[in-house]
Amino acid sequence: MRATSLDRKGPLFWILFLIVLVLVLFPIYWIVVTAFKSPLENISSVPVFFPHGLFLKNFVEVIAGGFFGNLFNTLFVAVFSTLFSLLLSFLAGYALSRHRFPFHFNTVFLVWVLAVKILPPVVLAIPLYTLFVAAHLLNNLGGLIIVYQVYTLPYCIWMLFGFFKALPTEYEQAARIDGASNLGILWHIVLPLMRSGVIATSIFSIIMAWDEFLFALLFLRDPRLQTLPLKIVNFITEYETLWGQLMAIGLLATLPLLLFSGYVYRKMSSGFTMSLK
Amino acid sequence: MIKRRTMLKYIVKNRFYYAILFPAFAVVVFLTVYPVVQVVANSFYKYNFLSDERLFIGFKNFSSIISDDIFQTSFVNTIIFSFVGTLLEVGLGFALALLFYGKFFGRRPAMIIVIFPMMVSTMVVCSVWRTLYQFDIGLLNYLLKAAGLGPVGWLNNPHLALFSVILVDIWQWTPFAFIVLQAGLLSIQREVFEAASIDGAGYFRTVFSVTVPILWSQIVLVVLLRTIDTFRVFSKVYALTGGGPGNSTETVSFFIYREGFVYFNLGRASTASMYTLVVIALIAVVYIRQIMKEGDV
Repeated sequence: MRATSLDRKGPLFWILFLIVLVLVLFPIYWIVVTAFKSPLENISSVPVFFPHGLFLKNFVEVIAGGFFGNLFNTLFVAVFSTLFSLLLSFLAGYALSRHRFPFHFNTVFLVWVLAVKILPPVVLAIPLYTLFVAAHLLNNLGGLIIVYQVYTLPYCIWMLFGFFKALPTEYEQAARIDGASNLGILWHIVLPLMRSGVIATSIFSIIMAWDEFLFALLFLRDPRLQTLPLKIVNFITEYETLWGQLMAIGLLATLPLLLFSGYVYRKMSSGFTMSLK
Repeated sequence: MIKRRTMLKYIVKNRFYYAILFPAFAVVVFLTVYPVVQVVANSFYKYNFLSDERLFIGFKNFSSIISDDIFQTSFVNTIIFSFVGTLLEVGLGFALALLFYGKFFGRRPAMIIVIFPMMVSTMVVCSVWRTLYQFDIGLLNYLLKAAGLGPVGWLNNPHLALFSVILVDIWQWTPFAFIVLQAGLLSIQREVFEAASIDGAGYFRTVFSVTVPILWSQIVLVVLLRTIDTFRVFSKVYALTGGGPGNSTETVSFFIYREGFVYFNLGRASTASMYTLVVIALIAVVYIRQIMKEGDV
């Protein structure tokens, strides 16, 4: 194997490499140290790069301020919107990949689903808001799960459709010859074969819902129902300078996602192109 | 009559597939057809949600929104945000992908570190950048002062604030372009680069005459995805500047939000949405054509 001009790693490479790592890591480092600094250290006019001790009171205050309630809301909404989307798109993806509907409906439907993804959420928010006011679904985590389908459903349909298309149909045909029912095949044959695809899809979908802000802002007015992004933004606007506590919430809200970094990297860098659409 | 009967027979025979497609179909219809019809209808009304006043006024909203200074500003800001953000994210992402090409010590852990920013919650990203940007005791101004330069109003200067918000988006989403493009780069056969270097192509020649053309469809797709995402920017504006100072960082999404959910002028908000939809439709056509070309549908 001969080296090509793209492979060369001279001193300039290592300098650029270090600069990139610093630019990427510094804000994350800043989140962590700020969370462990005392209020005095945080408003010091000379920035404190290394805190003198671990000031854990920020975390204590944040937890006393109801962090776990917000965490529960976020997790509840993210998990159930994902489960709902997975169920719908598992069924729909199977139908779209195994049956040709008349009038090119397969293509029409998939393009239609893409359109949902492209629409700015704020455009959908107004009509959905008036509808939800009428249906008393405001201030209701269940209502939020319905509107989160705007994000999670198009994503799950496209992902699972891609996995179904790549799945050979021989197993299904064999089971059909053995007299298995449609639903039996779906449950006992197809679902186990699709396991890794379903897991990957659900992780990306949970991350998406975990981060959502606009609909949470519009549809949840009760502080007890707030999700983490909402809690954080209210903290920014109400207690501008309590940076320690702000970063403590931020750190706690981000750690669960950062743990998935390795997994996300593996999936996305192994030609996981469906994550593009 | 016969045709209808065979059609019916066909559906009954394949009822399983119709039945399992239906739930997703129903939700997609509910999430698109109903809201879009409502937006179109409301855009012709003077409609205040609080006073419940609803009056048909024809195209009056359309003319008043398009001549509204704030709407025009928000529109221009959105275009700038989307264009500059996408360009730099994809450009830097591609440069990073090239930088990380090949084998070197620490490649794998470094790759995982580089995708951290897109794993951090958007609101947490905004919080930390707000502290870095802070005028009096923020770190960036401290560094500038240490270097003998005056403090900069990152989020207070109306000429700068929009770019400060864009910078946060670039920090968070360049990793996305990076990881997708580096996967594309790895899928190119090494022989291609070897042939280029045998033919005497230098670094930039190899990048622009060989790599870019091969990766073109993936580059286009990443550009489209980032365009769609930056065009709807809302949460960063809300958390970093609230649209200010003045209206210098107001984007279209923020304008619609304020008309609709602060003033509750649902008619005007719907009309602004209609104008946005025109632009979105243009992006959508390009995007959908690109995906059809990839042959996934």
